[in-house]
Amino acid sequence: MSVSTASYLARRAAQKERVRILYRRALRDTLNWAVHRHLFYQDASDLREKFEANKHVEDLNTIDRLIDEGEATYEKWQHPDPYIVPWAPGGSKFTRNPPPPSGIEIVYDYGKEDHLN
Amino acid sequence: MAAALRPAILRHIRIPVQTLGRSRPLPCLHPLPTSMIRSMSSHGDDHLTREEVVERVLDVVKSFPKVDPSKVNPDVHFQKDLGLDSLDTVEIVMALEEEFKLEIPDKEADKIDSCSLAIEYISNHPMAV
Repeated sequence: MSVSTASYLARRAAQKERVRILYRRALRDTLNWAVHRHLFYQDASDLREKFEANKHVEDLNTIDRLIDEGEATYEKWQHPDPYIVPWAPGGSKFTRNPPPPSGIEIVYDYGKEDHLN
Repeated sequence: MAAALRPAILRHIRIPVQTLGRSRPLPCLHPLPTSMIRSMSSHGDDHLTREEVVERVLDVVKSFPKVDPSKVNPDVHFQKDLGLDSLDTVEIVMALEEEFKLEIPDKEADKIDSCSLAIEYISNHPMAV
């Protein structure tokens, strides 16, 4: 395999990964914007159509430009207050009632502690 | 005037209270079954069994519109075996995240491309419910 083919494949793989991650983020953002589930389905299908429209583009530079545009659109329309699962950083239960560190226990010996003797 | 009326009214509307006989034992509070006892900590008190994870992952994959449910098994690869494309895989992983109330980082979610990897990841995740 020549060097140019290898570099072509590497660049294609990087682009595919960028597209997958962009689609994932955009889909999640669509869910953030949708106030009802039935609205989300239509928005998600519209989003998918936008991605499918450029499915067969071959030129690497054009693909890069399209991904850049997609990422810019995503950044521009990002939801200001996205949904975060409760336990994740920023979620409503983040660090609430954390488990005590292992090895630490409470000894119930009211009034019979050693220092009182 | 009001102060004088108050005891009279109270005497009139007082409700007789019967005390329970000591001989009758108080109804015993049945101990809760262990499954209903929630520990005080909100972390790590309900772990999923692997069978449950497998069942729910397969349910999610089978209910994906483009998937033929009869082809789904725990070792199936989304793109090679089910004929999905990469964006469908992203959608399946999103659906799995919602099913198990997870938030998988983008780079890790990107690597999940088969049922076996998804089952592995979710059953090892401490916050999956």
